[in-house]
Amino acid sequence: MKFFQYGNEGYKSILDPRTKLLLLIVINVVIIGTGFTGTDYVLRVICAVIPFVLFLMIRRFRTALLYALVCGFMLLAERFLFPSTHGVLNLIIVITLGPFSRILVGYAFAYYMMCSTTVSEFVTAMKRMRVPDAISIPLSVMFRFFPTLAEENRAIRDAMRLRGIRLTGKNGGLLRQIEYEVVPLMMSTLRIGDELSAASLTKGLNAGRPRTHICHVKMEIWDWALVLLSLGFLFYMLVLR
Amino acid sequence: MIKLQNVSFHYKNTDAFGKQQRTRGVDELSLIIQKGEFVVLAGDSGCGKTTVTRLINGLVPHYYEGELTGSATVCGLDVASSGIGDLSPHVGSVFQNPRSQFFNVDTTSELAFASENLCVEPKEIHRSIRRVAEEMKLENLMDRSIFALSGGEKQKIACASVAVAEPEIMVLDEPSSNLDEAGVEELRRVLALWKNKGRTIVVAEHRLYYLADLADRLILLKDGRIAEAFDASAVAAMTEADTASRGLRALRKVPLTEPGQQSGRPDEDALICRDFDFHYKHSENGIYFAEKQFRRGAVTAIVGHNGAGKSTFARVLCGLEKRAKGTVQFDGRDWPVKKRPALCYMIMQDVNHQLFTDSVLEEVMLSMPVTIPEAHRREQALTVLDKLDLLPLKDIHPMALSGGQKQRVAIASGVVSENPILLFDEPTSGLDLKHMRQVADLFRLLKEEGRTVLVITHDTELVHEIADGVVSFS
Repeated sequence: MKFFQYGNEGYKSILDPRTKLLLLIVINVVIIGTGFTGTDYVLRVICAVIPFVLFLMIRRFRTALLYALVCGFMLLAERFLFPSTHGVLNLIIVITLGPFSRILVGYAFAYYMMCSTTVSEFVTAMKRMRVPDAISIPLSVMFRFFPTLAEENRAIRDAMRLRGIRLTGKNGGLLRQIEYEVVPLMMSTLRIGDELSAASLTKGLNAGRPRTHICHVKMEIWDWALVLLSLGFLFYMLVLR
Repeated sequence: MIKLQNVSFHYKNTDAFGKQQRTRGVDELSLIIQKGEFVVLAGDSGCGKTTVTRLINGLVPHYYEGELTGSATVCGLDVASSGIGDLSPHVGSVFQNPRSQFFNVDTTSELAFASENLCVEPKEIHRSIRRVAEEMKLENLMDRSIFALSGGEKQKIACASVAVAEPEIMVLDEPSSNLDEAGVEELRRVLALWKNKGRTIVVAEHRLYYLADLADRLILLKDGRIAEAFDASAVAAMTEADTASRGLRALRKVPLTEPGQQSGRPDEDALICRDFDFHYKHSENGIYFAEKQFRRGAVTAIVGHNGAGKSTFARVLCGLEKRAKGTVQFDGRDWPVKKRPALCYMIMQDVNHQLFTDSVLEEVMLSMPVTIPEAHRREQALTVLDKLDLLPLKDIHPMALSGGQKQRVAIASGVVSENPILLFDEPTSGLDLKHMRQVADLFRLLKEEGRTVLVITHDTELVHEIADGVVSFS
């Protein structure tokens, strides 16, 4: 129900959106670029712990628990299962788990970012970084886009079930299913996007003009600590390694 | 305040066959609205009332393209030569669809959004938000995720977000379409508040009963022109016959007919639902009841306020909720969850979600069992399309049709599916009288065919018009 959807009711996120963006990049660089031994592995574990702690801080306890279980398993598999198996078995494990272990942490962090950041915080932070509106406004719409897409998709899937369109059976087949799902999804996304632009324009959203903001976006001590950590990681990845 | 002089506007678009065409918005229309006036625009779909609201907020001609002639001025600004951004400080707009009018994901930011764009000082914005929250009783909606709000709450936030920036003019385009009775009442209170504060208010709307006491002027549009205008006393004097003959929805609240068919006598033939028990995960919403009956071959209205479980009931009855408990009896047999898609066909509120193929004919044939030979299926589909006035459109892509036509295609798919029960979720939300009557006629047609029709609706006029019985959820 809450796919990539803002839900920070009552608890303000303590991180600045800029820190989140930097962390998103660094975590992905580390997780995709490191091996499973020595210092590399230590870095992986540190990066993997970050989303867990952040989930706890926005009180997403169930998400945190689920993430800890899956991610813990992945980390153990990387350390012990990958090197200790050989031949075909190793190939199967690496092919099935490998790609997953390279995206899981980044995905979890992106998820955290989406559910803890408001559009106005994001736009304000982008403005501080002097990112032009032509980039920051379309990017900020993504915070609405994913949840809306998920909502629409759910309704369309229900409608398909009512019509008896499934992977198997009458009117079945994967290709047809995709076609039937994508066409209405695209149409309703277009329509919603169109109406949303109209509504935003009437509220005076106008690229390139100055605007004020009521949200507090400020780099705090936590942010600087994480920025330092990120820079350290980047230094290791780009220079030391 | 608002001055339209001989304004004509034609939208540029493509028709269902892909040809370029011009659709009339308004035609040689002249209208002057004074400061502090409350004007209601009414008329059939496509009569031009939405275009008038768009002329006021600048979406016409700056967002929706077309040809504009004549002169339109709002607060002394010429609409044609000033941008939407120049008009936005003076005009606040509320739209029909609560899903697509918020730029932000949280309520407080949305309330601040319009003022932020005007470069108002943050302190000042906070003060305005507090004032509006108090006036409109929004305290429990502050700092919430917009995704977690109900339709009525979203529309309240939409109104409030306009009010924070304090524009002189408010335009609302069918704001009540997606609201239940309680939501409409909230909306009415907000409008009364604005009227008392001397705002100029323009509402384009089908549902009129909640506006009758507020309107200083009711303007009836027809084919892009003003057909008739009534001042407050004329509105108060209008009778039911007066509104009906002009194709208008009722000016007074139509009371809900009391549940008739709910005698204790067990009806062997009826659709009987027993011991329903279902709750969504992580949510308090759900349904629980011991027994409900729906007469076979009749139209039964399902009513109740938002959140009473009407839609949940529909999902359970159609077999969309696998974990649902309860039995369904119809036609002398039990229908377990897995079999229910063959029992009950739902026409959703947003029919865009249930049209999948690239032509109307194919769409209808998709619902028929493949065991029937193709030629036979085609023939049967054509018969049904003919009955629903869709035959000329059979080769057109369903997404290119108008809202009402799409709904009829969805109904046609339900008719050929041979499901004995057809369930409609809010089929008349946002429809004018003529189209509402059309839907009612379709129900009569389905009844003649021997189908059992269930209608989830807030529309008491529809219930009054067609329902044989009423089942209420609470």
